[in-house]
Amino acid sequence: MDSTIKKYEDLLRRYNILNSISKIVASTRELNKILGITLRGVTFGNGFGFNRAMLFLIDERANTLKGRLAIGTETAEEAWKVWADILQKNYSLEEFLSLEKFGNGEPSSFNQKILDISIPIKKDFIIEQCLDDGNPKNVDLTLNNITDEDFMIKDASVIEKEILDLVNHPRFCMIPLICRTKKVGIIIVDNKYNNREITREDCVFLMMLGQFAASSIRNTMIYDELKESLNKLANVNYQIKLLKEYNENILESIPLNVFVVDRDFYLTACNNNFSNLMGMQKFEIIGRNIRSYDIKIGEYDLIEEVENVLKNKDIRVFRNIRIKMLGKVSESVFDFTLVILKNSKENIDGVIGIIEDITKTVNLEKSLEEAKRFSELGKLSAAIAHEIKNPLISIGGYANRIKRKYFQNNEFDINNIETVISEIYRLEKILNDILYYGSGKKAVYENMNLSLLLKDCIKLAHISAEINNISITLVSEQNYIENTDIIVYGSYNSLKQAFINLLNNAIEASISRQKISVDSRIIDENSKKWVEIKINNEAFIQNDKDIINIFTPFYTTKIHGTGLGLPITKKIIEEHSGVISVESNFEKGTTFSVKLPLAENNNINT
Amino acid sequence: MKKILVVEDEKTIRSLYKEELIDEGYEVITAEDGAVGYELFKKENPDLITIDLKMPNMNGIELLDKIRKEDKDIPIIIYSAYNEFTQNFSTWAASEYLVKSSDLTEFKSKVKELLSSRI
Repeated sequence: MDSTIKKYEDLLRRYNILNSISKIVASTRELNKILGITLRGVTFGNGFGFNRAMLFLIDERANTLKGRLAIGTETAEEAWKVWADILQKNYSLEEFLSLEKFGNGEPSSFNQKILDISIPIKKDFIIEQCLDDGNPKNVDLTLNNITDEDFMIKDASVIEKEILDLVNHPRFCMIPLICRTKKVGIIIVDNKYNNREITREDCVFLMMLGQFAASSIRNTMIYDELKESLNKLANVNYQIKLLKEYNENILESIPLNVFVVDRDFYLTACNNNFSNLMGMQKFEIIGRNIRSYDIKIGEYDLIEEVENVLKNKDIRVFRNIRIKMLGKVSESVFDFTLVILKNSKENIDGVIGIIEDITKTVNLEKSLEEAKRFSELGKLSAAIAHEIKNPLISIGGYANRIKRKYFQNNEFDINNIETVISEIYRLEKILNDILYYGSGKKAVYENMNLSLLLKDCIKLAHISAEINNISITLVSEQNYIENTDIIVYGSYNSLKQAFINLLNNAIEASISRQKISVDSRIIDENSKKWVEIKINNEAFIQNDKDIINIFTPFYTTKIHGTGLGLPITKKIIEEHSGVISVESNFEKGTTFSVKLPLAENNNINT
Repeated sequence: MKKILVVEDEKTIRSLYKEELIDEGYEVITAEDGAVGYELFKKENPDLITIDLKMPNMNGIELLDKIRKEDKDIPIIIYSAYNEFTQNFSTWAASEYLVKSSDLTEFKSKVKELLSSRI
């Protein structure tokens, strides 16, 4: 009866210890603490009361069992001393379990030994079996093989040498630490000093403790792993944050207005410059749909243009435009670029808008142009003054002379009067040319027949050419002037003046019996059709400076002339999107080439 | 009779000067640019030269330079449409500078003055 009561008391006590251990273990997440508490619980005198306890954990990567903690003394004397101390202090279980110095924190030589142990998990050895079948292995090497204690292991050859060396005692028990199916490690207990037998009941309780310890250890390990991954994640997050800040700094530092919309027109990013341009705070517009703002790039609708860019997967650039938003037009002028936003997989994420305020640049260009115009005007005025002064001196000088002669001898020199008249006529002509050259008025343009015009000009030029005994011929190999209508878009009167100037220039440069030829052909250039007219005379311009300055106003080598004929011609040709050039050499003389674009509906085939 | 060489590219001004100087009793030869002017200077041995500053081929400064290298003393009048002499040290070699005018009184008196100081 007594023994039954004692047995139940024993059971109750052990459940209490299990309960206490589980409570304390649950209060911590530190692996070392859990290991310490478990082993102290196993060795607590009023509890399981094992003399020594050793714990190994599996290193999965190396497939080895690694010694982690050992509680107990190496010699019997030490053991008695420690137990006497504990008895004297009369620790409660909780106090004992929390006792740091016992087997945890204070390195004992026994504990030091276990930390050095690393046992490979080999097939058919006791550790592998224990972890495999999940049963406790009770070892008693003192028994011989014939005893009926079947569950006992009696054969030292199945036990790893490292275990035998460490335990150095023939009777011990190995408990697997398995959490569900996960193998965590093992616990080995023995009673080296009091030699108490390890019973089946001991094994049952050790298994219960083992299961609990295993799950706690496992939880802690998972927790640690989780913590580590969380730390890593936090680190990555931090770096992402830095990267984001870096990118944002770039975006904020560039002196451009930048925004990004996704494929559904939601604004996903922008810099402060852009939000300021919109007259809003950044947080107010990010996440909003740009459809709600009615933005126009000049005359173009932003939404339509973003759609175009998405559709064509390209770039759209609008130069020198004002932005209209909600009916208001910007004071500043911008260059507005829309470009496709691709992610690293080359998929389209949206569209980036880059808006550059070019107001200052435009104003600068304007004032530069104005300054240039004024300086040209200044140069022109000086040239005009110079050109006008010469005829004025002649007129004044001859008028004085006429007056003096009349009073001196009552003489009337008709030649002097004619000089005055012709000089006045010359002045008039100079002024007419200046007025034409200086006028910004554009003549009325229409589709006109250049063949007719050229024939007209040549007919007029023939009159003055004949006086000087110079012949003008048409050498057009394709006979365009003769037989074909060459249609260009332009002003008949302006072009007529241009070609008459060129023909007169050729006549004035020629001497008696020289020839002037007019050639015309149709050419293809820059995917456009042009008519090219070449007017050639036999006189050779020797001085390079004269050729370079041939179109400069008032640069003239001629005795008669306003110095504006060729500059006016150049101006007219260029107003017609044409090109004029000059070439002079000893063999061929001087050739002026005029290229004019044909009207679009011209049906001449080259 | 004193011989005057007029170098002037403007035809009407050239003949105006010529006629006026003939009326004053000088013999007048004319050149339409610097190159011809230099040739006549060498060939005709004039007593005085008047030179326009701006001319095609050889301009007034080049001509003045060339003549002064050979004759340091011959009176030379340089004139121009406006006061360009001050801008060019080379013109300092001339005896007199004048701004072109329809009133030839000053021109004629300078010619007379320069020729009388030269015996």
